[in-house]
Order: sequence, then structure tokens, then C-alpha cells
Amino acid sequence: MADLLNTSISGLLAFQRALDTTSHNITNANTVGYSRQIAQFTTRQPQFIGGNWQGSGADVSSINRAYDNFLSSQSRSASSGFKQSETYATQAERVSNLFGNSTTGLTASMQQFVNSMQSVADTPNSIAARQTLLSQGQSLVDRLKSYDSSLRSFDAQVNASLGSEADAISSIAKGIAELNNQIKVGYSQTGSAPNDLLDQRDRLIDELATHVNVSVVKANDNSVNVFIGNGQPLVVGADAATMVATADPYEPTRKRLSMQSSVGTIDITNSLNGGTLGGVLQFRNEMLDPARNAIGRLSVALTDVMNEQHNAGMDLNGNLGGDFFSVGGVEVRANLNNAGNAGATVTRSDVGALTTSDYELVSTAGGWSMRRTDTGANVPMTGAGTAGNPFVADGLSIVVSGTPTTGDRLLIRPTAGAVNTMRMLVTNPADVAAAAPIAASATAGNNGNATITAGTVLNASDPALRTSATITFISPTQYQISGNPATFTYTPGADIDANGWRVQISGTPAAGDSFTVRDNSNGTGDNRNALLMSGLMSEGVLNNGTTSLSSAIGQFVGDVGVKTNQAQVTRDAQKVVATESQEAMQSVSGVNLDEEAANLLRYQQAYMAISQMIRVADTMFQSVLDAVR
Amino acid sequence: MRLSSLGFSLGSMNAMMEQQSALAKLQNQVALGTRVSTPADDPIASVHILELQRAQSESEQFAKNSTLAQNRLSLEEQSMVDVGNVLTRVRELVVQAGNVGTLSNNDRASIATELAARLDELHDVANRQDGNGEYLFSGYSTKTRPFTGGDGTPISYIADQGSRQLAISTTQRVADSHNGFEVFVNIPEGNGTFATAVNMANTGSGAIDVGSVVNRANWVPDDYTITFTAPNTYQVTDGATPANVVSTGTYTPGSSVQFNGVSVTITGAPAAGDTFTVNQSRSEDIFTTIGDVVSMLRAPAGNAVANAKLASSLQGSLQQLDQATDHFLGVRAEIGVRLSTLDSTDATREAMDIDLAASLSDLRDLDYAQALTKMNQQLVGLQAAQLSYTKISGLSLFNYLS
Repeated sequence: MADLLNTSISGLLAFQRALDTTSHNITNANTVGYSRQIAQFTTRQPQFIGGNWQGSGADVSSINRAYDNFLSSQSRSASSGFKQSETYATQAERVSNLFGNSTTGLTASMQQFVNSMQSVADTPNSIAARQTLLSQGQSLVDRLKSYDSSLRSFDAQVNASLGSEADAISSIAKGIAELNNQIKVGYSQTGSAPNDLLDQRDRLIDELATHVNVSVVKANDNSVNVFIGNGQPLVVGADAATMVATADPYEPTRKRLSMQSSVGTIDITNSLNGGTLGGVLQFRNEMLDPARNAIGRLSVALTDVMNEQHNAGMDLNGNLGGDFFSVGGVEVRANLNNAGNAGATVTRSDVGALTTSDYELVSTAGGWSMRRTDTGANVPMTGAGTAGNPFVADGLSIVVSGTPTTGDRLLIRPTAGAVNTMRMLVTNPADVAAAAPIAASATAGNNGNATITAGTVLNASDPALRTSATITFISPTQYQISGNPATFTYTPGADIDANGWRVQISGTPAAGDSFTVRDNSNGTGDNRNALLMSGLMSEGVLNNGTTSLSSAIGQFVGDVGVKTNQAQVTRDAQKVVATESQEAMQSVSGVNLDEEAANLLRYQQAYMAISQMIRVADTMFQSVLDAVR
Repeated sequence: MRLSSLGFSLGSMNAMMEQQSALAKLQNQVALGTRVSTPADDPIASVHILELQRAQSESEQFAKNSTLAQNRLSLEEQSMVDVGNVLTRVRELVVQAGNVGTLSNNDRASIATELAARLDELHDVANRQDGNGEYLFSGYSTKTRPFTGGDGTPISYIADQGSRQLAISTTQRVADSHNGFEVFVNIPEGNGTFATAVNMANTGSGAIDVGSVVNRANWVPDDYTITFTAPNTYQVTDGATPANVVSTGTYTPGSSVQFNGVSVTITGAPAAGDTFTVNQSRSEDIFTTIGDVVSMLRAPAGNAVANAKLASSLQGSLQQLDQATDHFLGVRAEIGVRLSTLDSTDATREAMDIDLAASLSDLRDLDYAQALTKMNQQLVGLQAAQLSYTKISGLSLFNYLS
């Protein structure tokens, strides 16, 4: 009888615990990161009674959580990947939207500038047309500057979010370290798994994975070690490292990420990937920096070609044109950790050879070496780095100064700072150099029928450019140019170059015929230079003269679009992967309410049945009592 | 597969949210009427769109340039019409003055007065300005009055020989004017090969006609002088120093003097020592041509010697006027060619504009039928998702526990 009661009571207790577990499951059905728990029943130790092994009931031996390590690590890396691509895509979309508007975009501004230049060519004397040109030039500059400042503000946001990411990662790491400690204690005190603490820790690791890619290694004492980047330990047992946003050694306002631990502070920016942090860094490296440099390069090229042509023209007052635009120079920054005091003066010597990359100049035992920061490729330099013989590479001319110590580094940013200080130098409409400074004419009374072209300027700085010069034919096949005793052979239509100008004579000249190339200072109605300037945007300038400014803009916008589009496609693909792995994990760990309802019924019925057994035991005992009464 | 209740809810929610964002995007496209709103929507199309819009804007500017060139060329053409009218009257007057024997000095003086007035008129046309106060015929120096002098003083061209070009397509440029040198100054002299003249110091009554080219291959461009060594013998010398004798002959009044492939006819009675020149053709401006006639007519005539000189000169002037008329017609023809170039370029541009607009529409504009069909599909999908979610999530074993 006693055994019957004992057996029944063991069942009651066991099913109570099972019901408790079910209730816990139902209650946590909507708790994120909760793993459903399962009460494991085992039979009690049997007793040897009357020559037989008699069963003595059931126990709940353990309460396990339904958890699959493989699925959860898969889900973490998938969510890391998804978060990175989502962050990148979101940021990239902002850049894409910035350049997307085709009516106010760069191409439209550039074309309006060209059109207003054509209007000046149509009516070179019109101050109104010239004023419109200046306004359009200013709005082109404003457009470039507004893009640059938007990109700068994105950069500032990147820096700010690197700081907040570092804080978030540090605080999660601290939480994991604390839980490690609690779990270790929990295990050692009871010998069984503290399921809910394990769930909490897993949830924190899941959250960490949305910030940065992690790898988790379980230790023997049931704590976990968490590594980020290239195996940098973030949490080891109960110790957590701190992530901090540190200043870039070249630029204090630019942030990088470092890990602070008992070992010291290590910059791990380049090894980080995955999660929102990885996305932000990817955005900065692949989109933001190249875009800023590309806008800078466009501005530099625009300024260069416009200035060169404008210098070769003549304004309404008869003066040679000055510079039209001005842009900021090449930025050179010395690394804060440099031991020597080396510096460099860098100028742009060939706009066509400029790239959109930044460069790092490293002092080596044998001198200096240069590498691109975007690809890391070494760039061969010619020259010696002196003022007389500067280093020349990728369109830059570099003069180094000071005394470097081997390993010292300088950062060269050829175009990043160009737009910020860009402005229009021509402010007076009369100063627009629409005319050419020289004009050629045939002498009235020439016997031959030869004609001369109006002439173009080859070298505006030639001191004799505007000095009147006469081309005299000493015979129908030979001519002389005043100021030069040499005799030249006449070829119809061939270039005749002198004093920085070029003309062509064609037809049949007679001996004694002459042509004059002289100053054009009355030529206020001349539009030759304006026509040349209006054609500049479609002339090959960039990439060694293969890409025109207008196609460079197209390429740039296309590049932004392609990158954003790729980021969106990657995001969508990663989302599917992340959702699927999440579902796979949920299918193991998640609570199904129907299942719990069934369990509830099952355990309740069992509980009621056992209660009935106690009644039976009681009745049996009463019958015995009644028998002896 | 086991399904967790939370997973089912989250999954359904996600699916519905995706449907909603797809719908929102479609709605945005339908509202804007464009398929591509940011470069990321379709990078290749968006670059094409930028390029097409740039080409449209460029084309608008070319159309403006073309209209301006047309206006200026029309203005110039009107000037050339006026020049033509003046020249017609001038020619009438010169022909009238050609009746040397029947006109008195007074008659000639009154013709000269009208000619001088016509000269001034021509001068004014040559110095004509457009609506902006720019001179039509001054090349690049549009603020410089191109022809100075007048009122009896020689008229000379002081502007330049430039000719402003306007861009009317990416490759084509058309000049919007001629300079005064081309139009009024650079007119070939004589018959274009040579010009004859009588020496004003001649004492005989010999007159020379304008002559003609008999054999162009034999013509050697030079300035030749026909000198009468005696009243009935002449020799032709070239312009070298010392002069070479090219031809000699015996003079019969009215017979032609031929040398080096050209033929001139001398009439009347030249005296020994009289000379006539046959100079290679250079250029003579129209003002000089008319101005010379005016001064010739103002000089008294009446005797045979003076009449012969006047007749020769007037004949030369008449030829020069015809030469000038031809020259002006040439200029007008050039204006016509330019205007027709503008017309054909305009036509090409308009055809291209239609192409551009069509391509742009293809790339950028939304196909409403397609978009709305897609939108309906999405709507049905979303509704189905919502309905099925509420139905399925309502199913629970707990409903049957009591």
C-alpha cells in the first residue's frame, strides 16, 4: 500500500513539474530568443520485493532546452550578413537618391552651363548672356559643392555611428561576460543547465551578431569565448574587452575602431566585417570615399580645362582671360605616429592621369614608396622627390621635405578637398573671355586667291602672341614670317605656327601676297573662344584623355546606381538566407501552442489518473481496516 | 516540419510587409508616372536617361542658335537686296553718262550728284547695324563702324576679316554674317583676269576697251603697258625692271592688240608716247568704283582727247559694276546656302528630338497597363495573406479546452 502511494506521489510530482514546464513554455511563447523546454521522464529505481523487481514510479530527471548549436551559429552568421547588406543598401540608397534627380542633377547643371556658354557665343556683346553664363557657372559650382557637403555629412554620420556601434558592442560584450560567470556558477552549484540563462546569453550573442560578425567557442566550464574580426577576443570567460572609436592617425575627425583590453589598444577596423558595423564600414570604403573623390576629380578636371581655354581667350575689355574656376589643392596628411618630420608638397601635374584613389607614401630604407589606398597596389614613381625633379605618379607631382624615419607615412588625397573651396573667379560679365586674342586677315590687293583661317591660340602665354605678324609670300611656294629670316615652303592648308598662334592658308598665293595676324582687341563680337569652351565638356579629358566630363558624370552616376542596385540584390538574397535559417532554428527551439496544449491535456490526464490511483490505494487500505474492525 | 507559433506570426508579418512595400513602390511609380526614379532602380537606363535629357537640352540650345543665325542671315540678305537696288540705279546712271558725246558738262555733273547720293546710300548699308547696335559687316569688331570716310573722302574698311560662327549641331557650324572685306572690298578687278586703263596723261584720243581673254593658258599674270612708240606702232612691255618687250605691232584703229592670250581693242588716234595699261586683276572695293565715276563725271570734258579717256574709263567702270553685281549675287547665294543648311539641320534636329523623346519615354515612363495589372496582383496577394493569416492564427487547440 505504501508503495502504491509512493509510486503515485512520484507521478504526481513528476507531472506537476511537466505541467510547470508546459506553463513556462506557453508563457514564453512570444519571448524572442526563448528555447522551449522539455521535461524528461525516467522510471525510478525499482525495489526487489518478494523475489521480484517492483517498479516504483517516475521522476523528472532533467529539464532540457530544445537547442541546436549548428542551427544557431548558422542563423547568427546569416543575420550578420543580412544586417551588413541591409545597412550598406540603406546608406547606398541615400547616395543614389542624392544623384538620382535627373532634372536638377549634375548632367543637367553641366549642360545648362554649356548652353549658356553657347548663348554667349551667339551674342558675345550681350552682358545679359554673359551674366547668365556666370549664374549658371555659379549654380554648377553650388551643385558640386552641395553634393560634396551631402557626402561630407554622410561621412560625419558614419563617424557618429561607428561611435555608437562601439558602445553597443562593448555593452553587449559586458553582458555576455557577466552571464558567462552566472552560468558557470549555476552549473557548478546544481550540476544541471541553467536553461533561461543560456537563452539570455544566446540572445545577447545573437544581438552582437547583428552588429558585427562573431565566432563563438565554448569552453569546458560552460562559458563561451567570443571573437570578432580576425580572431580578436571580445569576451574571454568573465572578461570583456571594450570597443572604442579612435581617431584616424591621418585625420582626427575620421573614426576607426579599436579594441581595448588588458593587452592594450589595437586598431581592428580593417578586419571587421558583418553586421551593421560591417555595413557602415563597407559603405564608407566602397561608396562614400570613392564618390567624394570622383566628385572632386570632376571638379578638378572641369576647372583645369575651363581655365586653360579661358586663359587663351580675350575678354570684352581686350585683356587675356584669367582663370574661370578655382579648386582646392591636394591634401597631404602626415601620420600622427611618424617619428620623423617628413612632409610633402603635392600638385596635380596631369589631370588626365588622376584616379579616384587616395595614396599612402611610405618611407622605406631606400627612399619613398607609394601605394593606392583603395586597391593597396604599389604605384611606381619616377623622379627623385626634389623640387627640381619631383616624384611623378598618377598625375601627381610630389616634392618631399623634412627628415623621415623609415616607416613614416604620409597620406595624399588628390581630389577629396577640391570641391569644398571651389569657387568662380570670374565675377564681372565683361571678364568672360569669349573672343580669341588674335585675328588673321588677307591684305587688300593680294594678287593670288589664297585665303587665311581666323587662327587659333596654341600658347596663350607667348609674349609675342598679340604682336602683329605678317606672313609674306616671296614666291607662290615660299613664305616668310615677319621677325623670322627663315623661309618656309608653302603647303596649302598646312598649319602655320608662330608666336603661340596657328593659322592655315589655302588656295594659290602670288608672290608679294601677304597676310597679317594681329591683335584682336576690337573683336568684341568674336565668339571663337566661347565656342571652344562650349565644346570642352564633350572632349576627352579624364582617364588619359579617353573620357569626357559629361561621360564621366554618366559613368559616376551609373557606378553609384550599379553599386546600390547590387547592394539591394545582396540584401534581398541575404534576407531570404537569414529568414530561412531563423525559421530552421525556430522549428527546433520555438514554442508551438498546439503542441503545448496537447502536452497540457496529456499531463493533466496523467495527473488525474494518478490521483485516481491514490483513491484506489485509500479504498484498499479502508477495506483492510474494515476487515479487522 | 515543426512550426513555432512565434515563427508563424513573424513569418506571416514579414510576408505581408514585403507585399506592402512592393505595393508602395508600385504606387509611387504610378503616382509619378516614371519607372526609374533613382539610379539604383535601373542603373543602365538611368545613365541613358541622363544622356538623353542632356541631348534634349543641348538640342534646345542648338535650335535657339539656329533661329538666331537665321535672323541675322535674313537681316544680311535684306542688306544685300538693298545693295542690289542701289547698284541697279548706279548702273543706269553710268550707262546714261556713257553717252559721252551728247551730254554736256552740266548733265554729267547732275548725274555725278545723284551717283554721290547713291554712294552715300551704299555706305550706309555697309555700315548697317542690327537690333543690338552691332554692325552687320564688321567681322569680329562688331562695335567698330566698319567703313570710315564718305562725303567725298575715300571710304575705307577698318574692321577685321573675321566671320562669327554659330554651332547648330554638335558637328556643324554656320557663319552668321559676312565681313565687310568679303562683301564690299574684295571684288575682283576688271574681268577677273585683267583690267585695262587709259593713261590720264595721254595726249592723243585713243580709247581702250575692257578686252577679253582669248587663250587663258597663255596668260601670264603681270602688269603690262601698251606704249605707242609712234601713232601707228606700239609695243607691249611687262612689269619687270627693266621691262621686257612682250609684243610689238602696227596700230590700225579698231583692231585688236593681242599678246599672252589676251586681246584688247584700241580705237581713236593715240599720239606717240601715249600708254595704256593691262594690269592683272586685283581687287577693288565698290566705293572706289563708284567714287571714281563721280570724280570722272565732275571733271570737265568735251574735246576728243578727254572724251576718249572718259569713254574708256566709263566702260571700265561699267565692267567693274557688273563684276560687283556678280560678286554681290555670289554673297547672296552664300547666304541662301547657309539658310538652307539651317533649314535642313533644323529638320534633322526636329526628327532627332522626336527620337530622343521616344527613347526617353521608353526608358523612363511607366507602362501603366503593366503597372496596374501588377498592382492588382499585389493587392490580391496582400488581401489573401491578411485573410489567411487571421483564419490560421485563430486556429488553436486551446479553443477546445474548457
